[in-house]
Amino acid sequence: MKKMIFSASMTALSTMLMLSSCSKNSGGVIVNTVYQKADSVKVNFSSSTPFTFFSFKNDALVANADSASIKWDFGLRFTTFILNSHNYGPGNTGAILQNSIYDNVTTAPASGYAYDTTASQKAIKDGSWYNYNLTTHAFSPKAGQTFIFRTADNYYVKMELLAVDYEPFVGPVPTRLIYRFRYTYQSNGTTNF
Amino acid sequence: MRIQQKNIAIFATAVFVLLELFSFSQKKFNDTSAIGEVVVTASRTEKSIGDIPVPVLVISKKMIQQTGSQKLIDILQQQTGLVLADNPLGQALQGYPNPFGSGIQLQGLDPAYTLILLDGEPLTGRNAGILNLGRVAVGNIRQIEIVKGPATSLYGSDALAGVINIITDKPTTNRLTLQFHAAVNNTFGISAGKNLIGKKISLQLFANRYSSGGYDLDKNIYGKTADPYRNYSFAIKAFYDITKHIQLQSSARLFTQKQFNNYLVYTGTQPEAVDGSSNETDWSLNNQLHYIISKKIKLVSRLYVTGYQNNATVFLQKDRTLFDRSFLHQFLVKPELQFELGSKPNQKFIAGVGYNYETIDANRYAGEKKLNTFYGYAQKEWLPLKSLNITLGARLDKHDLYKAQFNPKLALAWKPLQDLTIIASVGSGFKTPDFRQQYLSFTNSLVGYTLLGANELNNGLIQLKQQGLIDANIDITPYLTDHTLLPERSVGINIGMRYRLFTNTNITAEFFRNDINNLIDRYHLPFTKTNNQSIYSYVNVNSVFTQGFTVGIDQKLGNTFTVNAGYQYLDAKDKDVIEKLRGNKIIKRDPVTYNSSYVTIHEYGGLFNRSKHTANLQLAYTNKKQGINCSIRANYHGRFGYSDINGDNILDDDREYVQGYVLLNSTVGITLRNGLEFQTGCENIFNHMDKDKLPNLSGRIYFVNCNIDLAKISHKNKKNNQP
Repeated sequence: MKKMIFSASMTALSTMLMLSSCSKNSGGVIVNTVYQKADSVKVNFSSSTPFTFFSFKNDALVANADSASIKWDFGLRFTTFILNSHNYGPGNTGAILQNSIYDNVTTAPASGYAYDTTASQKAIKDGSWYNYNLTTHAFSPKAGQTFIFRTADNYYVKMELLAVDYEPFVGPVPTRLIYRFRYTYQSNGTTNF
Repeated sequence: MRIQQKNIAIFATAVFVLLELFSFSQKKFNDTSAIGEVVVTASRTEKSIGDIPVPVLVISKKMIQQTGSQKLIDILQQQTGLVLADNPLGQALQGYPNPFGSGIQLQGLDPAYTLILLDGEPLTGRNAGILNLGRVAVGNIRQIEIVKGPATSLYGSDALAGVINIITDKPTTNRLTLQFHAAVNNTFGISAGKNLIGKKISLQLFANRYSSGGYDLDKNIYGKTADPYRNYSFAIKAFYDITKHIQLQSSARLFTQKQFNNYLVYTGTQPEAVDGSSNETDWSLNNQLHYIISKKIKLVSRLYVTGYQNNATVFLQKDRTLFDRSFLHQFLVKPELQFELGSKPNQKFIAGVGYNYETIDANRYAGEKKLNTFYGYAQKEWLPLKSLNITLGARLDKHDLYKAQFNPKLALAWKPLQDLTIIASVGSGFKTPDFRQQYLSFTNSLVGYTLLGANELNNGLIQLKQQGLIDANIDITPYLTDHTLLPERSVGINIGMRYRLFTNTNITAEFFRNDINNLIDRYHLPFTKTNNQSIYSYVNVNSVFTQGFTVGIDQKLGNTFTVNAGYQYLDAKDKDVIEKLRGNKIIKRDPVTYNSSYVTIHEYGGLFNRSKHTANLQLAYTNKKQGINCSIRANYHGRFGYSDINGDNILDDDREYVQGYVLLNSTVGITLRNGLEFQTGCENIFNHMDKDKLPNLSGRIYFVNCNIDLAKISHKNKKNNQP
């Protein structure tokens, strides 16, 4: 029941964000087409299951069959982020974790992006972005962490993780996590948001 | 107008106090007749409570009996500044209480930072820092002494926040006492005490049986919130006057408890019921030889041996196969020798040396561990002026794993007036890392993360690597370093006053501040296991402070009424968090709107699990003639931080608090002419409950007691038989 209310508020929020971006455009001040979405993604819990791949440009999940393409930007399994570059894909995805308020991030850095150079040297270090409660086993994304991506095909995105919940489950171990996040995708190729 | 009246009142009080300051002669320190209560914990020698230079509370047998309570924790939390608090390592979850239990928070420090002594010797068997106070039966307690502020200069590790010393009865008069207790939740208690006084040997025997049916706050969740249990306590104490100057005091104690567990587990996808029991055994032998060598020299040798065992086993209900077994075994031997020089009170010199040999073994540790500590302490008291007492003490502890710890303490007591004592003290304290922080070796079977104590980290990493649980590409060698934890250290300052206004009013006020460094916290290594799960260990990181004040008033109204009131203000914060807040470095995210913003320093509520405001009020009516004895006791817990909800891991949002509440308890007792006493009472009259956040509160409890004192009864009968 709680979850349903939660999703409803998310929809309201995403609608609100869409509206705000439209109003900005109608004002004629911002020339870039800014693409804003609040979204949620279901991610496997077990480390022996596939990653979930996401494309910022299409605002959609990418099929596992396309994991060797540049169609996806990041993959998620449990709390592990992989990026489409070096060790994991043919793309050019890099990431920077910035300690700042999402709304205040107006430009993406031109350089300094980290890559998944090896399986053990990941750009987004596991455990770096959440607080874990050993009693409730809850993962809560740390506030004030803005993920800045250069995507697989060199566009810039800022993203904020909003919540991580377990999908309702029966039994000892959850099967999936629900990630909720928002992001801004700059489709004109500049670093401005 | 009202303000003016108030000002006049303040002025009048000031003048009155000043007049008193000048009109009375200074009170001499050696005159201990004014206040009769004697306390041993604060100085390790008997000392009149009025002369003690540190904050001290005394709970007398009479006060314990007046409440009719059978639970030590309930008696303790009636005192100003003693707050019942959950273990910070765990949390109540889905209708089950905090798995690590709760204990007494003193001066805003967690329960693990208060040393708990029984007849001057430490109780062992703490579960993650918490000592189950249910192990101590209240029936044979003579007095509880609580010393606030660091007492490490006398007692060593763990006494950062203070010391609670539970002192049991002395065999003084021939008597037999019996008590029967019954309460809701199928709670029954029976205890018997017998004193045998001989010419040279006096004996005290005590036995107690207590059982509870537990309680269930949420019927929708399988199993009870608190499981049923029963326990037995036995104690024997002997005083043997070998010669006029040599006395042997020996005591033996045994406590055993069985708790009946029943809950759901998952072996596959469907829940299954398990049942079994947790068995706790705690025993000790305490031998003391008091040797008065001369008028000025006294020698006390002590040998304390204690053991604690906790074994828990649960079986699957369907086929009785073993599901889980856990254990914790601890053993301590502690010989000590103490000299006392000087005959005049408040001018004594004491010095002692001792040794601790400790072993511990638990299923979550990698094998049995042995630890040795040598220590020595000394304390000198002076009277440079008739009205000024200075106490200087220090202690040196040399522990196997750490460099020697030196902890001094300076305390002053000044009596400018007959009825006014001003006290000030500063001292340091330390706490060695507990066994869990050093030796834990545990992998969560559900999620798969690994927790390793600092001393187990290197071995653990090498093992995980060998087992292929750490990726072959990860180089662990930079992490195979010396991870030895440093003891947590504190400096505490206490300033206070005790004032007797007229003869029926006692006022106390105390200010305290504790600065604690090297606090140990959990962290994760910068790489994961092959199952993507973290490896956690422990490290010294935080610096925190706790400060505040307490005020108390004790007022007698005629011969029958007494009023006690107390209040504590507490401010406890993390210094690193304050620094980050000043630099605008902490961001919060509202869990509903998802808006992020900087946390301001004013929003910071300090450390979790601490009430800023706590208060207690007690009204008692005693009419000895009619044998009536009533009391009503209120205990206010101000709101306290529970857990983070806005992603910044600090307390800064109203929704992160548990609302404040009041516990109201009352007891009525009637003593018949033959010494038979009946008591009845109600605890938690307001029936305050919160099954999610306060599952330790069981709701309203009614009880009845019947107390029989056969010494009194036979005495009365003799009187009645006289013509």
